Amino acid sequence: MGKPIISGDSIIVPSSLEHLADVDLFIEGTLRGYGVGESLIADIAISVSELVNNAILHGNKASPEKTVSVRIGLADHKVRIAVADQGNGFNPDTIANPIDEANLLKEVGRGIFIVRSLMDSVDIEATSHGTTITITKAI
Amino acid sequence: MKLSDRVQDGVVVLEPKGKIMGGPDASLLHDKLYDYIKQNKKKVVVDLAQVDWMNSTGLGILISGYTTLRNNDGMLKLANVTDKIQSLLTITKLISVFDAYDSVDDAISAFK
Repeated sequence: MGKPIISGDSIIVPSSLEHLADVDLFIEGTLRGYGVGESLIADIAISVSELVNNAILHGNKASPEKTVSVRIGLADHKVRIAVADQGNGFNPDTIANPIDEANLLKEVGRGIFIVRSLMDSVDIEATSHGTTITITKAI
Repeated sequence: MKLSDRVQDGVVVLEPKGKIMGGPDASLLHDKLYDYIKQNKKKVVVDLAQVDWMNSTGLGILISGYTTLRNNDGMLKLANVTDKIQSLLTITKLISVFDAYDSVDDAISAFK
């Protein structure tokens, strides 16, 4: 199992949920460096954790050969974060609505819904070589 | 995440602390919950006072505990839900699923 690689504004982690905390530490630390308040930091950290969870489990299928990269930037008072996996892509339209009565007690399937609720924008670019999801949040 | 647990007035009180985001930390809560279920302890309060935040994985663990206990004539209640978690429960409409109380004592009293 490899180790996280931090380089400036990005972190690359192997496809293991053990590295969720490494990504969180990097993201929260960077956001505090930007001067972001704690409540917003939590919203962004929750969103990134959702995307990295999905990238590891659904994108890369937890394959040890594959990695997840997370890049963060700040421009025009907006935080922009891109999470990329090396999977086969996915169609976001296939995700069931988690607030439908029939899905309310399902244990999974709320990640992207929560991200869309917390962030200002969510852009999904899915290809056969991987999926990149970019989120933005005004600070 | 760290987790402490105790039994108060016959009710299991679980106290997670930190962030519940998935991976090894989250399985702590899941495993502890199911340990008590195996011991036939079916009244559970999850005290969220010291949880900084949780994501959908954390919500999934709470749902799993809730449905398992309910299917075995038990019940899971929440106490000290923070604003951040309250917001997530509202967004996901799970606010209508869980009984939530302002304190652990209030949640325990609700079992009587």
